[in-house]
Amino acid sequence: MRSLTNLRETLIGNSPWIAGTIIVAGIVHITSILAMPYLAPKDAFARLEQAAPLNRITVLPQPSSASALMPFEDPATVVAVCRYDLNQAPLRMRGPLSGDGLLLFSFHNRFGTTFYSMTDKGALRGRLDVLVLNQTQLEAVEAFDPEDELPQELRLLSPTQRGFVIVRSLAPEPGSRPQARARIGQIACEAEGNRRD
Amino acid sequence: MATFLKSLLAAAIGVALGLTATWLAVERGYGFGAVSSGPWTGWPKTGSDGADPYARAVLARTGEVPLGLAEGLSFTARTDEAGAKLDPTCDYIVTGPIPPARYWTLTALTPRGLVIDNSAGRTGITSAEIVRAMDGTFAITLSRQARAGNWLPLGNTSDFVLLLRLYDTPLSSASSSIGATPMPRLRKERCA
Repeated sequence: MRSLTNLRETLIGNSPWIAGTIIVAGIVHITSILAMPYLAPKDAFARLEQAAPLNRITVLPQPSSASALMPFEDPATVVAVCRYDLNQAPLRMRGPLSGDGLLLFSFHNRFGTTFYSMTDKGALRGRLDVLVLNQTQLEAVEAFDPEDELPQELRLLSPTQRGFVIVRSLAPEPGSRPQARARIGQIACEAEGNRRD
Repeated sequence: MATFLKSLLAAAIGVALGLTATWLAVERGYGFGAVSSGPWTGWPKTGSDGADPYARAVLARTGEVPLGLAEGLSFTARTDEAGAKLDPTCDYIVTGPIPPARYWTLTALTPRGLVIDNSAGRTGITSAEIVRAMDGTFAITLSRQARAGNWLPLGNTSDFVLLLRLYDTPLSSASSSIGATPMPRLRKERCA
C-alpha cells in the first residue's frame, strides 16, 4: 500500500516529464512515418530504376524463391515496366488491346503512389493510347487541339516529374505464359516526339 | 543538473517509443482502411492516391506495388477461418464462393512476399484452371502432399500466407460493400 502511494506520488511529481516524453514520441512517430517515402532506399522506384531504362517497356524477371524485384507480385502474371522522366519528355504508350487476355495498367509517381489504374477493358476503341505528362506539357498539347473534337488519347497528369507505369499480363494457365508475354510485347512505350515545355 | 538529465532521459525514451510505434505500424498491415471478411483482409485504398501515410510508408519500405483500385482487389489470409496461424505442415481446404471477377488467382507466398519452391513447380491456382463439381462448386486443397483435384502445393517453408486476387472485379468501385460480400472459406484439415 505504501509503495503504491509512493509510485503515485512519483508519477504525479514527474507528470510534466511524462507528458513531454509522450509528445516527443508522437512527433518522432509521425515524422518518421511521413518521411519514410522520401528516405526509404529500396522503394519500388529505386528498384525499377536499376532494372529498366527510361521510356522503354521492359519485362521484369520472374520472381523466384530467392529474390523478387517487387514482393507480393502474382506469379501468374508477366510484369513489365515503363519508366518516365517528364523533365526530358512526356511518355507515350500505345498498343492494341484485343480483349482476349487480361492486361492491367497502373501509373505511379516517384513515391510509388498509384495515380491512375485501368484494365484493357477500360481502353478506348480497343486501343491503348496514353500520354503521361506534366502541367506545362499538357497546356502545350491542348493549345494544338482542334476545338471541335475530343482528344483521341488518354492524357494523364503525373503528380511528379519522374515515375513509372506497371503493366501486368495474366497467364491464366501455366502454358499460356508465352501469350501473356506476347500481349505485353505489343505495347510500346516511347518518349513523345518533340520536347514540349 | 537533475533537470538536464531528466529532459535528456525524456527525449531518449520519447524517441525510442516513437520509433517503436513506427516499426510496429509498418510491420503490421498497411495502415487504415482495411476491409476484412473472415480470415481475408484487403487494403483497397493502398492502390490509389487516397493511400494514407501509413500505407505509403509500408510500400516505400517493402518496395511492393499494390494492385490499382481499377485493376482489382487483393486479399491476404494469415490465419484459417478459426483464427489459427497458417501452418504448412497442415492441409487446408478452400471452398467458394469467390466474389465476381474476370479472373481470380490464389497464391501461397512467404510472409515477405516471395514465391515458395515446391516439387510440383506450382505457385498458385487460377480461376481458369479450376476443376468444378457438377453443381458448379469447387474445393482447393492446400497440402505438401499431392492431392487429387484442385491442389495448391505448399513447399518447404516454415510460414506462409495466402493471397486471393480478384482481377477486374466490380467490387473495386464499391469498397464499402466488400465486408458484406461472401468470401471463400478456409478450413484446416489434418496436420502432419
